[in-house]
Amino acid sequence: MAPEMIDPHARAESGTLRAEEARLRAYLADRLHIRTRFSPLPDVRAILVSAPDDERGLGLVVSNETTVAERIYLYVHLAAHIALGHHRPLDTIVEGVPGLVRLEHDSHSHIEAERLARAMWWGENEDLAAPRMVRGSAFLRTLLASGPTRSAMRRVLLAMRAAYYDLRIERALAGSRVARWLRDALCVTAVVSVAPQLSEA
Amino acid sequence: MRLSDAERVSRAIQTLSGGASLDVIVDRLYDLTAGTLELDRATLHRIARGKTQVARAIDSPEECVRLYFALMILGCEQDVATGTIVEEGRAMLAGFIGEPLAALIFRDLEATLPKLTDRLTLKEYLEEGLRLWLPR
Repeated sequence: MAPEMIDPHARAESGTLRAEEARLRAYLADRLHIRTRFSPLPDVRAILVSAPDDERGLGLVVSNETTVAERIYLYVHLAAHIALGHHRPLDTIVEGVPGLVRLEHDSHSHIEAERLARAMWWGENEDLAAPRMVRGSAFLRTLLASGPTRSAMRRVLLAMRAAYYDLRIERALAGSRVARWLRDALCVTAVVSVAPQLSEA
Repeated sequence: MRLSDAERVSRAIQTLSGGASLDVIVDRLYDLTAGTLELDRATLHRIARGKTQVARAIDSPEECVRLYFALMILGCEQDVATGTIVEEGRAMLAGFIGEPLAALIFRDLEATLPKLTDRLTLKEYLEEGLRLWLPR
């Protein structure tokens, strides 16, 4: 995992984010046979443990200190590892906390998974991609590509969300296309904020 | 199942149990493995004392691997040093099963352990490993 992944201050755990996290976790369980549980893991973000045969499935332990946005990123990243066969024949995949865990000799496989995760996140695969309404937005993707514009975008979206609730207009706008776009944009921005490598060209 | 080095396995079990009595260990092993170990107390006592080359109740490599994970978890619970847990766990598994399954497990263990610097994380990893080896 790239060293810039963890931004402990990037917390925007909206209902959209939580729903997206639950959807992706269910996808891992149903399609990739990964059972996920959350535990205190002081020195790593996640451990994906493999068994020697596919019938047994895989076990994923995720640190309970991860934010919802980080979990979404981890699921996509780990799905990429699996698609690349990095868990075979019996290899545990450790997603570490940068600076705390030695992952140097895994760096090649993590970079490979990162590339694939990025392609999956912005791609057409409905299961692992960013929400459909915003994933094709060149405007949003450009804003998320650099740190300063990403932070600015995030602040603007959070301010708009606050105004949306403060002005009590959510009932009028809840089902509107604009509101859905903004919700999805905030979700994607939160994920890319904790995993900026998803935005790299 | 025939032990390749009963004396070494005995020493590994005694070290991983951290001085706890064998009865306590057996209870905890049954608990950790959700009752899937067929090993009876008398046989485990004999293995732990190096008094037998044969563990008749252990029929499959999967059972050996479960016992291996469970004993390593026990080592974590008994505050045995991480390096010792790994070394003794390896000695124990090598005593039970041969290549190539053991080689696969050791290879993964050796690649994974340097990344798990905390004993709590090591225990979570071992528990997940054990869960995957439990019968479905």
